[in-house]
Amino acid sequence: MTSSIPADFFGRILYLLERYGMSFLRGAGVTMAIALVGTLIGCVIGFAVGVVQTIPVSKRDRLPRRILLKTVKVILSAYVEIFRGTPMMVQAMFIYYGSQTLFKINMSMWFAAYFIVSINTGAYMAETVRGGILSIDPGQTEGAKAIGMTHFQTMTSVILPQALRNIMPQIGNNLIINIKDTCVLSIIGTVELFFAAKGVAGTFYTYFEAFTIAMVIYFIMTFTCSRILRWAEHRMDGPDNYDLANLDTLTQTSGMYPFKKRRTGDE
Amino acid sequence: MSEAIIQVNHLGKEFGSHSVLRDIDFSVYPQDVTSIIGPSGSGKSTLLRCINMLEIPSTGAILYHGTDITDRRVKVEAYRAKVGMVFQNFNLFNNKTVLGNCMAGQTRVLKKSREEAHRKAIFYLEKVGMAEYINAKPRQLSGGQKQRVAIARALAMEPEVLLFDEPTSALDPQMVGEVLQVMRQLVKEGLTMIIVTHEMAFARDVSKHVIFMTDGVIEEQGTPQTIFENPASDRTREFLGRFRNA
Ligand SMILES: Nc1ncnc2c1ncn2[C@@H]1O[C@H](COP(=O)(O)OP(=O)(O)O)[C@@H](O)[C@H]1O
Ligand SMILES: [Mg+2]
Repeated sequence: MTSSIPADFFGRILYLLERYGMSFLRGAGVTMAIALVGTLIGCVIGFAVGVVQTIPVSKRDRLPRRILLKTVKVILSAYVEIFRGTPMMVQAMFIYYGSQTLFKINMSMWFAAYFIVSINTGAYMAETVRGGILSIDPGQTEGAKAIGMTHFQTMTSVILPQALRNIMPQIGNNLIINIKDTCVLSIIGTVELFFAAKGVAGTFYTYFEAFTIAMVIYFIMTFTCSRILRWAEHRMDGPDNYDLANLDTLTQTSGMYPFKKRRTGDE
Repeated sequence: MSEAIIQVNHLGKEFGSHSVLRDIDFSVYPQDVTSIIGPSGSGKSTLLRCINMLEIPSTGAILYHGTDITDRRVKVEAYRAKVGMVFQNFNLFNNKTVLGNCMAGQTRVLKKSREEAHRKAIFYLEKVGMAEYINAKPRQLSGGQKQRVAIARALAMEPEVLLFDEPTSALDPQMVGEVLQVMRQLVKEGLTMIIVTHEMAFARDVSKHVIFMTDGVIEEQGTPQTIFENPASDRTREFLGRFRNA
């Protein structure tokens, strides 16, 4: 059987693609799925954690609220520090096997794979989002407060849209890191691209050829994603110029408008 | 005289051990224009920010129609929707267009329908001469245009009182006029305003009441005639003298 393998490099690559193209593709699909879902959920976690960590505590707040907020912030920082401070491969072993021995939870390998990448990305994104929020000019918050917006309204309509735009490059970075780093999940048996390539390589002892193919596929995936994100960033910036509106079509009202003294009933 | 809208009673503010405002006392009546003048660092911005609760006063009270808004139980957001503020650095929302800036507070805080918010936004943008620019982003506007949009954004909330913190100080000289003109129009229409400014001629023309501050206290307050023509305090005279020579 081995005798049918071509002797030259390109011949071998074509041979592997022909016979195992589907396993490479399936592996690449798994890699992309885990990276995309993990990054997306990670961003949601990151935004939630980052937002909570930047809630201002004021002297006007009641004591129970201040204590609750402080406790939650400590727990969230612990989460961020622990998951940023340990390798994802070790986390994978710890969570997948630890959940079985410690809590008798039989996590499916798939659930574990998505869970680990999400929670890991979440820890990184939390810090990114926190930095993104803090980097927005405090004047933006004051402008929002001055028209009566609550902290939540200020965040959702003014601060987060700007923070999101500013951290888009880091989100892209995280996606690319995740595409590459899902290969550590092979340790818990996730058949992603690296695992697939290793399998193919072992069958015929064609390590160089199999991993050449894997290299190319990884690069295509990361490069495509980085281009798409660059395009998305550009779209978020909106047009460079604006059209002047035609005044006649805007409204018919004009002229003097006296400020009537309004009675206020809610104070 | 009718009931005061805002009464500042013995207001004090400290940042740590640094006392910035001491025993500030004054009242604002409907349709009054109150100007606050004084050297830089005298606490004018801090006073205005306290009135809008962007800074929490350390001592004293701020009564709004008789209710002390420094009380923890008062919903400060509802109060701020009634007492707007225009900043030296505009603070327009960078992620929104001119129109979006003028609609956000109406839809989210006042819960108005988009149609009504749109109509009001256009109405007030026309008043400041910026209706043509509804699709522009703040970064595409000049300083004077930004400040006029900021004024329209505050007006669109239809506030009872509008606070201005040196609205023309960040502007190139040729843009100061366009903003002051808009403000003069608002005076004519009877809007109640508290204005921190270094534009002495403007303050003298439009004010009902002038407050001169130094080192965190009100040195002197009264009618523009008293403060500008016949001040009781030497420090007031000295401060105003600097402007005459300039
Ligand atoms: N957040 C702050 N923390 C500490 N000191 C402050 C703060 N804001 C203002 N100050 C101090 O308060 C004083 C008055 O400042 P400000 O109200 O800005 O004066 P003005 O607007 O009259 O120039 C200054 O000495 C300033 O350094
Ligand atoms: Mg100031």
